[in-house]
Amino acid sequence: MAWIALIVAGFCEVFGVAMMNKWQYEKKATIMLSLIAGFTISFSCLSYAMNTIPMGTAYAIWTGIGASGGALIGIFFFGESKDWKRIVFITMVLSAAVGLKLVS
Amino acid sequence: MNKHWLIVIVASVFEVLWVIGLKHSYDVWTWGGTAFAIVFTFYLLLVAGRYLPVGTVYAVFVGLGTAGTVITGILFFDEPFKISKILLIILLLIGVMGLKIVTDDKKEEAE
Repeated sequence: MAWIALIVAGFCEVFGVAMMNKWQYEKKATIMLSLIAGFTISFSCLSYAMNTIPMGTAYAIWTGIGASGGALIGIFFFGESKDWKRIVFITMVLSAAVGLKLVS
Repeated sequence: MNKHWLIVIVASVFEVLWVIGLKHSYDVWTWGGTAFAIVFTFYLLLVAGRYLPVGTVYAVFVGLGTAGTVITGILFFDEPFKISKILLIILLLIGVMGLKIVTDDKKEEAE
């Protein structure tokens, strides 16, 4: 159950980042509410998952799903650059962040 | 260093503050400050997203927030110092600087 909660947390974060992106194009109340709901559900599921899964592991997986998913959605749905250098640097930043969460 | 990147850096500093807050808050004032820091962080991210790609903003924010949390953990909260942490922070900073170099300010171009 904790693992399902963790994956849901990751996907809600991706959804939240997608709404941050959408907000740049249309500033509607429904988008802002979806953004807030996405991150709130995400944090709640994450803290539930941390009751069972060690904190560093849970954080690392959550960050990994959330930020990389957010970047991919930006590329596929919001026309962000798919320049290979950008992808390499984003991967560096996120792998280092996941690594830090695992060793901390 | 232009001001849009500075906004992302400030957002990461506030993230470090609320991560500490979530762990160490004990009364109405510290919890209130933590809640304010969370809301302010997301406000800054939305502002930065006006000028920079949201995927980049979020990745840099997550990365710098994590690095900041690890560094404050070592300096102020007695968490162990490890070489692996320092190497990962260096890798992370190289990635952030790389992103800074390859990113155009999207909407300024369009306007």
